[in-house]
Amino acid sequence: MVNAIKGVFITCDIPMAQFIVNMNNSMPSSQKFIIHVLDSTHMFVQPHVEQMIRSAVAEFRDQNSYEKPT
Amino acid sequence: MPQVKIIAKNFMDMVASLTAIKLDKLYNNVFICEAILRSLPPLAKKYVLQLLFTDAPVTAKMMKEWVLPDGESKHGVAIDRLIQLRIFNESVDRKKETCYSLNPTFQKNLQKHIISGGVLPREPMNSNNAIKLPSLQELETYALHQWECFLLQLINSGQGEKLTGISSSMMKVFQRGLLSQRDRDGPRLTESGFQFLLMDTNAQLWYIIREYISNAEERDVDPADLISFLLELSFHVTGEAYNLNTLTDVQRTTLKDLADLGLVKLQQGRKDSWFIPTKLATNLSVSLADSSVRKEGYVMMETNFRMYAYSTSKLQCEILRLFARIEYQLPNLIACAITKESLYNAFDNGITSDQIITFLQQNSHPRCADRVPSIPENVTDQIRLWESDLKRIEMTQAHFYDEFPSKDVFEAACDFARQWGGLLWEDSKRMRLVVKSEVHNQMREYLHTQSK
Repeated sequence: MVNAIKGVFITCDIPMAQFIVNMNNSMPSSQKFIIHVLDSTHMFVQPHVEQMIRSAVAEFRDQNSYEKPT
Repeated sequence: MPQVKIIAKNFMDMVASLTAIKLDKLYNNVFICEAILRSLPPLAKKYVLQLLFTDAPVTAKMMKEWVLPDGESKHGVAIDRLIQLRIFNESVDRKKETCYSLNPTFQKNLQKHIISGGVLPREPMNSNNAIKLPSLQELETYALHQWECFLLQLINSGQGEKLTGISSSMMKVFQRGLLSQRDRDGPRLTESGFQFLLMDTNAQLWYIIREYISNAEERDVDPADLISFLLELSFHVTGEAYNLNTLTDVQRTTLKDLADLGLVKLQQGRKDSWFIPTKLATNLSVSLADSSVRKEGYVMMETNFRMYAYSTSKLQCEILRLFARIEYQLPNLIACAITKESLYNAFDNGITSDQIITFLQQNSHPRCADRVPSIPENVTDQIRLWESDLKRIEMTQAHFYDEFPSKDVFEAACDFARQWGGLLWEDSKRMRLVVKSEVHNQMREYLHTQSK
């Protein structure tokens, strides 16, 4: 019988995918959110982690931006 | 980010949505007939002129033969437009074929108009009345100034000073789509508000006029009358004075509002008062045909991401502040820089990189505009890169299916999902499928029926 799992489908580029996998691995096992890694640019994760992923990516982006010290 | 766009919807769409009776009343005015004729697509214009002096209906089949095979789509568009505006009446003749004939009121009035030439219901006043008519240049500066004050007030309603005479209830109507009321910080521009500011003047003008007309019903003014007056106004001569006593009361109140927007200039002499239409008014019917008057550009973009705007207008400063960091302001120059932070700010507010780039291209200084491309490529590329940097990850609510009993069931499920437009990803080797959540319920029922 066909099995259906509900979640969120993520499409991104390869560096971002690695970033998400890394974030997943650093989480304690009760909070790991990746259900399946489909290929190098797609993955399937649990629902409700959208916002967390977005804010983590935004933080990563801010760390990489240069702010001139005032 | 949701892509909300305010489309400067064609005035004609609004006219087309009026009821049949109102439309017939409108067609009694020859100027409206001419304005509508001007706004039709070229093929439709040809059809109208061809059928103008024919009394008998023409079969649809015969009209199709007039067009070459690759013009079929244009033919369809033209006929649809004409039926929508009720210029063409569809009927069935004795041979049970559809045929078209021109709306009789429209036909009669257009014929009269072509034969006798357009005579406005009012004459320009004689110049020996000792009126001091403003020169065309002065008129244009006046119109521009009024329009800018209006726009500034529209977006900065938090400021205490009232720059124009438009009542605050009218302003609220215009601000309806553009500003959102937030109790703490005061009203803020919405996404559509930002896009509105970056449009060119004609598009903005049409948006405001459309809002004005849709609001007319609430003020007990018949929108058809308003439309006919506006179109009539667009046929007046710029710079000529027309006496106010030739207008009805309703038209007079409308004129006062239009003066605040900068479409006409009101003047008073000792005995009479008159109005002078500006270029903004006469452009009303021209811009129906989607041609825009090219304003003088004022922005110079350099490869080091610095921008110099040769302008003194407060409005233009505000618009530039939307996406660039203003460094300093000199008496005739605004120096700004496009930075990552200023662009991120703009993207947060809902402006897209395409809008910013089109705005820069349309408003580039004549010296810059001669160069190809008018904006340096590294700047446009970098703006687009910064925007795509914000969109690296795409997330969709979905369902994941695996453990299919057989390859056939898997293939059938794939096709089903594809038909419903919900297929996101499939793996035929391991028979796994990802489908959008919206399609999940249909998918589940389909799989139930398959397994029986």
